[in-house]
Amino acid sequence: MNKKEVNIKTTFVEKLRNDNMVAFIFCLPALIPLIVFWIGPMIFAFYLSLTDWDFMSASYNIVGLRNYFSLLQSPAFYRTLRNTLYFTVGSVLPAVIGGLLLAIMLNRKIPGRNVHRTLIFSPWITPMVAMAIVWSWMFNPSRGLVNYLFTLINLPALPWASSSTWAMPVVIIVSVWRTLGWAMVFYLVALEDIPEDIYDAAEIDGVNFWSKLRYITIPLVSPTTLFLSVVLTVQALRAFDQIDIITQGGPAGATRTLLYEYYQTAFQQFNAGKAASIGIIILLIASVFAIIQFWLSKKYVHYQ
Amino acid sequence: MSPSNIKTIFRKYKISRILWQIFMALVSLIMVTPFLWMFLSALKTQKEIKAFPPKLFPEIAQWSNFLETWASAPFDRYIFNSFFTASSIVILHIITTAMFAYAITQLNFKLRKPLFALIMATYMLPVAVTYVPSYIILARLGWLDSYQGIIFSNSVSVFAIFLARQSFLQVPEEMVDAARVDGAGHWHILWKIFFPLTKPIFITFGLINFVLMYNNYLWPLMIIRSREMYLITIGLRQFFIEQGAYGVNWPLIMAASTIVVTPLLLLFFIAQKWFIRGVGGTGIKG
Repeated sequence: MNKKEVNIKTTFVEKLRNDNMVAFIFCLPALIPLIVFWIGPMIFAFYLSLTDWDFMSASYNIVGLRNYFSLLQSPAFYRTLRNTLYFTVGSVLPAVIGGLLLAIMLNRKIPGRNVHRTLIFSPWITPMVAMAIVWSWMFNPSRGLVNYLFTLINLPALPWASSSTWAMPVVIIVSVWRTLGWAMVFYLVALEDIPEDIYDAAEIDGVNFWSKLRYITIPLVSPTTLFLSVVLTVQALRAFDQIDIITQGGPAGATRTLLYEYYQTAFQQFNAGKAASIGIIILLIASVFAIIQFWLSKKYVHYQ
Repeated sequence: MSPSNIKTIFRKYKISRILWQIFMALVSLIMVTPFLWMFLSALKTQKEIKAFPPKLFPEIAQWSNFLETWASAPFDRYIFNSFFTASSIVILHIITTAMFAYAITQLNFKLRKPLFALIMATYMLPVAVTYVPSYIILARLGWLDSYQGIIFSNSVSVFAIFLARQSFLQVPEEMVDAARVDGAGHWHILWKIFFPLTKPIFITFGLINFVLMYNNYLWPLMIIRSREMYLITIGLRQFFIEQGAYGVNWPLIMAASTIVVTPLLLLFFIAQKWFIRGVGGTGIKG
């Protein structure tokens, strides 16, 4: 080994060490909050879920899996699970399907296109708290705009948020109203990426609209569909504002989702241990959804 | 009549275009109805708003509803709190994101890939699981019910890191090399070369995260207690509950909602390109 090579080697090692040091310093401002408020709490939550702590007492007991067992043995918890599923499917499916249909409608060069895109997207940027208040007024059973429009077209006026049957549809409608335009914007980008000559070729072969949708559009936007369904599912598990404003989980627990129960257990019943175990269950459900959706993607999603 | 026949007729008379315009107008109208109804209701009297069937317009627009609302709760304070915390958070996002994205795209270090994977994984996980532990950590730090509690617990944005990483990867290597030859350090290269070249991405996530933080409700609801610290969303809910106590005063509540929503609608209509590009143009975000 000659001297020159040694030199190159040491400078390389030095550079590496230097890079490591610089990298550490550059990552630190992001890593500290991430560890303190994300990764640390995630691990801490597992531990907490094994205790019966109440936020205040100096001491607590390790109760093992008792929090989980008491949840799994209570019928109310299964009701909450069903509500969560109802809300998730009810708010994700219409947003994905509606978003795609609107994007197909808007994916043509016709005047007014951008205005519609802007207006349909605008609910996404407004505070859910404020708009949930407005919606709760519009859904007012005796004086609301919605029931008025219903009576105009000879539909029965409905009790909406005060009935355990109709409260969940109200919460779902409000949620879909807010995410529809957001989903549409993703599909608009995906549709723009589809080469026009594919459609031209289909046109020459005399393929009709529905076949084009079925055999060209839907397969080619499937990565977007997958992405949206994963993200919207995670968002649905996170939904809180509209439920808190419109129904507070009621009537009679009809709109109490896992996250709402988590909030009530933690900050109204002050049961930190039990709340943490609900949090872990939400985490598990989200992971299962993510795994299923990625498994589906391997089987069915068409990447160009 | 065969489908292709119908098609030629549609083409000829442009019926499809007219139908399209009608359908889209209807969809857009439905989407903005809550905004219109909120605004119109804010201008009605108590009597008018309770009329059924409802009237579209008030007899005389009650602009005084806004003054009365403004006077009956410290909305100026709430709006200040929201703007101050949201702006501080966005500034921190810009700094933490730029530095982190620079490290994982430009520096060679052992944990580069696992670190990025870890960050992306946290994005897919439900934030709910961290609420109770984070609350306890904030309590230990003595940061409950404080600006620093709201700001620092939100000071990293995984969405922003993802966007910035993508655009940092597209900065031409020759420019970086040229700067290095001139003896520029990493700090200088980051802020004098990368940051100016990728500014659009910073504007995009800055605007989107500002809006998300202004709209944030559940987490502040957990960690904020005193009225002087209320963010606008919590202040609005408080106002909603208090007005409800004496037979709901809907015109004032609608006026309060209008006060809360209008700044964001204005921001959106001015900067809509950035929002729509930021959401759609990238592939990942929340």
